[in-house]
Amino acid sequence: MELDNNKSKVKVVVSGIIPFFFIILMMAYIFGPGAGLLDFGVALPEITIEKVDFIESEIQATIRNTGPIPVEIAMADVNDRIQPSAIEPDRFLERYETALVRIPFEWNEAEPYAIGITVEDGTRFEKQIEAAAPALEPTLDLAIFFAIIGTYVGIIPVMIGLLWLPFIKKINKSKYHFFLALTVGLLLFLGIDSIEEAIEVSKENLADVFNGILLVATVTALSFLGLYYAGEKLLKKSESSRLTKPVAIALMISIGIGLHNFGEGLAIGAAVGIGSIAFSTFLIVGFALHNTTEGIAIAAPMSRERKVIGKLAIMGMIAGSPAIFGAWVGGFVYSPFSSVVFLSIGAGAIFQVIIIILNMIRVECNNNLSSAAVVSGISVGMVVMYLTGILI
Amino acid sequence: MIPVFMIFAFYFIFSEGISAQQEDQTFVTHTGAVVKTSGEVLDPVYQVSEVEFDPDKYLREFNYGRVSTLENGQTLREFTIIAEDDRVQEISPGVFYNVWTFNGTVPGPTLRATEGDLLKINFINNGSKEHTMHFHGIHPAEMDGVFEIVGGNGGRFTYEFEAGPAGVHPYHCHVMPLEEHISHGLYGVFIVDPKEGRPAADEMVMVLNGFDTDFDTENNFYAANTIPFYYQHHPIQINKDELIRVYVVNMVEFDPINNLHLHGNLYQYYPTGTDIIPSEFTDMITLSQTERGIMEFKYQYPGKYLFHAHKVEFSEKGWVGIFLVKDNIGIKE
Repeated sequence: MELDNNKSKVKVVVSGIIPFFFIILMMAYIFGPGAGLLDFGVALPEITIEKVDFIESEIQATIRNTGPIPVEIAMADVNDRIQPSAIEPDRFLERYETALVRIPFEWNEAEPYAIGITVEDGTRFEKQIEAAAPALEPTLDLAIFFAIIGTYVGIIPVMIGLLWLPFIKKINKSKYHFFLALTVGLLLFLGIDSIEEAIEVSKENLADVFNGILLVATVTALSFLGLYYAGEKLLKKSESSRLTKPVAIALMISIGIGLHNFGEGLAIGAAVGIGSIAFSTFLIVGFALHNTTEGIAIAAPMSRERKVIGKLAIMGMIAGSPAIFGAWVGGFVYSPFSSVVFLSIGAGAIFQVIIIILNMIRVECNNNLSSAAVVSGISVGMVVMYLTGILI
Repeated sequence: MIPVFMIFAFYFIFSEGISAQQEDQTFVTHTGAVVKTSGEVLDPVYQVSEVEFDPDKYLREFNYGRVSTLENGQTLREFTIIAEDDRVQEISPGVFYNVWTFNGTVPGPTLRATEGDLLKINFINNGSKEHTMHFHGIHPAEMDGVFEIVGGNGGRFTYEFEAGPAGVHPYHCHVMPLEEHISHGLYGVFIVDPKEGRPAADEMVMVLNGFDTDFDTENNFYAANTIPFYYQHHPIQINKDELIRVYVVNMVEFDPINNLHLHGNLYQYYPTGTDIIPSEFTDMITLSQTERGIMEFKYQYPGKYLFHAHKVEFSEKGWVGIFLVKDNIGIKE
């Protein structure tokens, strides 16, 4: 009997390994010596100028080797005019390696510039800057300034939105469902908005090699699954702890919205960072108005709870304060790759929350998601978001 | 949650890593600012480079051919020119480009003869593509290098004609697509001296050329004699009060004009060099493609004098140099 068991174990292992053997054979056939099946032609170097900073008497470009082969940087130019410059740490870049190119140049504020980098085969890569603006120095004053803006955009509007709670408390069940559905609509819009924003950033600033859209899809899916798993755990735990289910849901909504607001903070910080003052003001006003609706989203599931003031305040902070961190990161150390990742995580988090709320409604409405309250709630939520979104 | 994504953020933001501190290097910019760096210097001017082509040598090198006298007393000059198109040359420090060459260089050798000499140019095409030699000047139709295509991998043709008229002329490959063959480097200078000769002078050749290294039909580099910024880094040494004669040929493709501006001086200009009376006393000439001429000048004061394209884009992409005028003891005769 035991022998049999061992035998079958061996069989399992062998049957698991055999396909690997064939995979190796196949690879040897395709890539091995003398295999003429795949001829990819000439591999071309490619670099991406990820970031350009204007500091005193100097332009600094952060470049990355985003091609399939190592590259050697030969030259830098400003507006297609060759400029002696420095590259740190050195001119040889392996795949994905980055370097800082320092170009001494007396640039003029608010003027457009084209920064060019030439590699060893003579190919020139360029990045256009719409208006030169001094890179933000991470001073305490500026950090405080960003914190205040983050507060106005994130925390205060969410808190204002939470003030609808007493109103939601006083309404009947179907109206309550309407507000829960409204939350779903609001969140659905935010989730799509985050994905759109992530794709936009990746298209404009990220090298093709990162495959922006698939990066967004992957991170969104992973964040959704991860948070879904964690969320289920949290809900189960809520059954046995002081944390009630609605509070757990509201907490998840806050986290999802917080991630989204981090993305909004990034956008504002980056806009200030690249010196487009008009655009950043626009973003601040738009996001602030838009974010009051996020307060409703958090308040709705909590409306059947008692003594919620403290919890609500905490959730308001969770949802709103990431805008401050976002503004710091966006303003001081902006990187397109990290913004795409954050926005995608935010989208995944929001979709996870949508599923949780829909589940909650379904349980409360006897497996019925097609009531007038739910349908109209989702629709109104999206329309409200669209209308406030136009302001941005 | 917040700490988690802060850590996330820092991972992506500072993923460049911190490299070991190297010894600081310094370099001087075009405006004279001194910059220190812990990395490497990207500078086509000041960096010592191992460029294969020597613009200093090319500047004053004239190829008179194998000379013999025919029975009728006419001078015969024989040249052998080999075309190739597989050479990769560092045309600016760190930038490698596939040059097509006559006798291994861009520009090809400067051929020089006297008006009325019989020329025999044995052309061998060792390239992989078809090439020819087309000389500007006066010659029979079948010596024009346009319809007499010479095949690659050892194809041969002998061009035979009398040198003339006196002046400075370009020669270049004339195989279609012509722009491609010229912009890759298949050109050179052909000087025909007048029978009576020209006054003694320190003579030099400047071919104004450019390279489109990324094939977008716009030049990435410009130069006098191929290497960008070379004569700025290695000033051309000349003597005070000595007559300087520069044979200038514009071989730039893709741009409608090129020009040459001399600092601290003016020059007598002989368009195409065919006339012995200068057309202008100026410090600035503008040349279209393959326009050429002879400049003659003397410097009164020693020191450094810039010369460059006053189409400043070209000078900022390499077509700029310096004459270093020396207060000299012995002037060459």
